[in-house]
Amino acid sequence: MSRSVLIVDDDPFIRRLIATTLEDVAGFHIEEAGDGVEAVAAARDKQPAIVFLDIDMPRMNGIEACRELRSLDGKPTIVMLTAAGPEAEAEARAAGADLFLTKPFSPLDLLQLVDSMPS
Amino acid sequence: MEADLVARLEEKERQLERYAADLRETFKAERARSAQLRASYMATVRALANAVEARDAYTGHHAERVAAYGLELARTAALDIADDPQTEFGFLLHDVGKVAVPDAILFKPAPLTDEERVLMERHPVIGWEILRDIDFLGDAKLVVRHHHERWDGRGYPDSLAGDDIPPAARVFAVADTLDALTTDRPYRPAGSFADARAIIRAGAGRQFCPTSVAALETVSDERLEELRTGIS
Repeated sequence: MSRSVLIVDDDPFIRRLIATTLEDVAGFHIEEAGDGVEAVAAARDKQPAIVFLDIDMPRMNGIEACRELRSLDGKPTIVMLTAAGPEAEAEARAAGADLFLTKPFSPLDLLQLVDSMPS
Repeated sequence: MEADLVARLEEKERQLERYAADLRETFKAERARSAQLRASYMATVRALANAVEARDAYTGHHAERVAAYGLELARTAALDIADDPQTEFGFLLHDVGKVAVPDAILFKPAPLTDEERVLMERHPVIGWEILRDIDFLGDAKLVVRHHHERWDGRGYPDSLAGDDIPPAARVFAVADTLDALTTDRPYRPAGSFADARAIIRAGAGRQFCPTSVAALETVSDERLEELRTGIS
């Protein structure tokens, strides 16, 4: 069974960019969500192994969504897409994020990050 | 609202710039790795060629001289093979199969018996077999196998004739004879380039490919001398 990756960002362009970058890399099945509410629903439904989570989104932002995801049964690796700086990272970590990718993110960092995760 | 739109566009722009930067760096790193790989291929080929030549003090640097002459002829004739690294690899490795020929035959100061000649003439196929599984040696292996073919089909091992002989092997035959005739041998001193040219010219269309012989005609003695002294 292929693992799935959930990409959560309110900007479809960023979602597409991450999805295209990860396509064919590790045989992941890719899911997308446009805000925190959709993300939590998708995570319940698909049990993704990895969630890429933007912070600044309508309806439910990434920090809240991260807390919600942590209360679910599945234990996805949550990668928070943050602005540069220690404060953004500290807030994301407090909400339960495992890893960070600073925007604008490097596609090579993105690939290495996924590559270094246990399969 | 408009300020938000501008901010989002700028974010996209920065993100694309990041992708472009990574692409550029990846390309540069890839180019450097590829150059490194090419250099290590060449070093490997030279090491192998030198190992073969180390046995024979007389022909010292023969492979390198043949490679230099051969590439010059290929360039002069404007052949595509001049720019293909496989050509130089093949020239340098042509005699690698001689590792399997006993010293008593390889260095025999008298004519070979029929049996000895059969053994000696196996070296192109043996060389080809030695290199067969080395992927980075592509067409170079064809030079190794066919470097003793003759234009008239009376060479070995496959009696190929004319255009059936791989282009690099055709050029090689001229370069090889040129070097053999212009270096000292146990049984005779080196001949001049002029003498070698006359002999090669006489073999055009029989032993040698006419185009390769014609290419030699356009390379001056001075240039050949320059190539020769550049090696030892």
